[in-house]
Amino acid sequence: MASDTIISLEDVTFSYQEDVVALRELNLQVRQGEFVVVLGANGAGKSTLCYLLSGIVPHIYGGRRRGNVSVAGLDPWDEPLYITSQHLGVLMQDPEVQLFMPTLRAELAFGPANLGISREEIARRTEAALALTRLQGLEEHNPRDLSGGQKQRAALAAVLTMNPAILVLDEPTSQLDPLGRWEVVEAITRLKEKGDLTIVMTTHETEEILHLADQVLVLDRGATVLQGPPAQVFAQSARLEQAGVKTPALIQVRADLLGRQRQVERLPEPPGEEGACPQTGGEATPLEGRLDQLTVASVAQEIRAQVEAGRLAVRAGAVPAPLFARPDSPVILEARQLTVQYPGPPKVTALRDISLEIRQGEFVGIVGQNGSGKSTLVKCFVGLLRPQKGQVLIHGQDLRKMSVGAIARRVGLVLQNPDYQLFTASCADEVRFGLRNVGVPPEKIEARVSEALQHVGLAEEADLFPFRLSFGDRRKLAVAATLALEPEVLIMDEPTTAQDHRGRYQLVELAKRFHEERRATVLVITHDVDLIARYAERLIVLCEGQVLLDGPTATVFSQAETLRKSFVVPPVAAQLARELESLGVPPHVMTLEDLYRVLRPVQGEVVA
Amino acid sequence: MQPMFRYTHRDTPIHRLHPLVKMVYVALTLVLVMYPITAGDMPVLLTWLGFSAVLWAVARIELQRFASLFKILLGTFIFLVLIQGFTYRGGHTPLIVLGHLKLWEADLGVMTREGTWFGLVLCVRILAATSALPLFVMTTRASAIVTAMNRLRVPQTASFMFVSALSFTSLLFEMWNSIVEAQKLRAFDIDSMNVFKRAFRAYVPIITPLILLLFRKGNDFQIAMETKGFGAPVKPTEIETLTTRPADVVWLGLIVSVFVVCTVIKFAG
Repeated sequence: MASDTIISLEDVTFSYQEDVVALRELNLQVRQGEFVVVLGANGAGKSTLCYLLSGIVPHIYGGRRRGNVSVAGLDPWDEPLYITSQHLGVLMQDPEVQLFMPTLRAELAFGPANLGISREEIARRTEAALALTRLQGLEEHNPRDLSGGQKQRAALAAVLTMNPAILVLDEPTSQLDPLGRWEVVEAITRLKEKGDLTIVMTTHETEEILHLADQVLVLDRGATVLQGPPAQVFAQSARLEQAGVKTPALIQVRADLLGRQRQVERLPEPPGEEGACPQTGGEATPLEGRLDQLTVASVAQEIRAQVEAGRLAVRAGAVPAPLFARPDSPVILEARQLTVQYPGPPKVTALRDISLEIRQGEFVGIVGQNGSGKSTLVKCFVGLLRPQKGQVLIHGQDLRKMSVGAIARRVGLVLQNPDYQLFTASCADEVRFGLRNVGVPPEKIEARVSEALQHVGLAEEADLFPFRLSFGDRRKLAVAATLALEPEVLIMDEPTTAQDHRGRYQLVELAKRFHEERRATVLVITHDVDLIARYAERLIVLCEGQVLLDGPTATVFSQAETLRKSFVVPPVAAQLARELESLGVPPHVMTLEDLYRVLRPVQGEVVA
Repeated sequence: MQPMFRYTHRDTPIHRLHPLVKMVYVALTLVLVMYPITAGDMPVLLTWLGFSAVLWAVARIELQRFASLFKILLGTFIFLVLIQGFTYRGGHTPLIVLGHLKLWEADLGVMTREGTWFGLVLCVRILAATSALPLFVMTTRASAIVTAMNRLRVPQTASFMFVSALSFTSLLFEMWNSIVEAQKLRAFDIDSMNVFKRAFRAYVPIITPLILLLFRKGNDFQIAMETKGFGAPVKPTEIETLTTRPADVVWLGLIVSVFVVCTVIKFAG
């Protein structure tokens, strides 16, 4: 172990009490001031690694460990949490459960006060943490009143006042909107720039950490599959895909179109892992140049050079312009001059005089920042909110005159968190519940239950207790419970939340099948622009309670300047298409697959 | 719905008041409402309630919050007025006659003026009692509450539990609302059900997910607290310095004086 090594894991295997092996033969050496990023699909062992480093196992969650762990010279297994916490701070995914004091100032003082630190020192640390997280002026606010990004920064500031040498961040941006994510990543970047803090961060958002990571560790079912500098790890897109990790889009494009993967060079074995990671090393090369200097413009420039050199050909007709609008299909949902105000205090106007129509059979994406009015709008569509002004019509009928049951049969909403609705002893009962409430005859209920469970792939789990399912499967169960009611309109709220790269489109795929098989109308609220590009034919952008843009997805994504107001950034493929428009790349290219259809290697040229 | 118990940062005489003086106010309120009640207590209770209203106004707390408190208690008030109206033993002046059903000294079929009045007295008593604690927590910083409780020799764990519970109520409200909405999406509308339906079948789909979620969040709260040194075997730092100012003495004198006046009215009358 080198003298500046602050974290050392040697042959660490950990299993929870139910004998589920969460980490296998893990080796990791982290030097002081280093930024380590841990990637992997859900269930890969990322959170367990955080728990192991911070002493949460075994002090809160039990389990068995083999191997050696050293964190700032201590073994967290043997030390009480209040000792480990003086060296290592941990920030979790959900800011809501990390904030429990009535004011931000009290929140920040909570940790050091528990350790008996002097009042003056606590005040000094509080000021420093507030400055670093840019939360000055909010000291007397209730942390629960802050925005998502501010809450997570408040939780980060509360960890920083403990003055740790090591910071463990467990998916700190996974529950935030794009602006919140940007704010938190910016705060983390400033921490890294300070240079004296060692940071271990788990994430699914590989794009976010490109400019931060010194070392990347990729886990798959608890074992290391890749480990090394980011340039080397991200050159292995096939292996990353196998491990359920997304290769950053620009790197993927370079690899796929510019043939970077064909320059073979072995990735070094992880330290002390000789033979333990048989998949490590392979047909890949470290990427050229600094990853943090990769931009859409620079990659577009490289592609342009390849086209001009005759190595890539542009086939503009390979991706036909999408057919949009079904002017003949009837309007199914209509909002007329909707205004919704929450009483507060303080009063908040969530929707301002919104008017729009949704036609039968449309697949519509709705994007916008948190607080832009997306959730309020769909809550009006399902009758959970009554607007102060304006009307919502379903097939021309005023929603106010319809019962909750009548609305539920026509418009189904799948919420982000399925755990707000699950309460029965079996999955089948969960689906039956809604059917009984809307008065479906008993003889028809069973057929609809099995059909719905079949649709989402949970037929085998019909008798299982819902909370024994994974989070992703519980979300599918919530979809089944909604689909069983056979609504004409299906609305999904953030279907990619808490999903890894591999599973993130599973729910939308279910919605797409429902859309295609029944010519149903689908609305998806999301921050995921790749999802919108892939599935939605129409895109509505909300900003400060008003419709900022509404039209065919490609047209909306082409208005980058206007989109900026709502912090929505078009997908990388769309940005590249605009940069390469002069070469004949059609502007309606939205996905990487489309881009690859348009930009083809000239025969004889080697590309990935 | 906004929870009642939330600290609101303002610079008012009540916010600046020493927390122990505010605790005296809460304690005297409880003593006052614990006095044996009679139908003639309305002036006493209205005096104290009026005094509390002045404190609320000086603290510049929105009327809306008081309205929320009133709304929460409205069902209880209606119940009290009706039950006392129809069952008060000393009632003899009929207001509404539905029939005659004698039970001991009361006629259960007749709503009496005296009974209704006594019901109203009980309502004012409840309102006076419930308006004191919100005023205290809405005008006192968490760290000041903890320090004041420490001065009263309340164990640190207990004072932390009190303070974090204040914060936790808003999370509980949010979770409750989310669950009610989630079940409405499956045509299960608890808001449209009557009291009996709610009691017998409605709460299972609401309470079950709430309990399961609370267990889960409880674990996460434990992690967040313990990784911040909670439970360390050292004397925690008192963040707030509590100093007594002349204004505190004046306010204490005022509070005690009003209490004495109310007590005199109560027992002299």
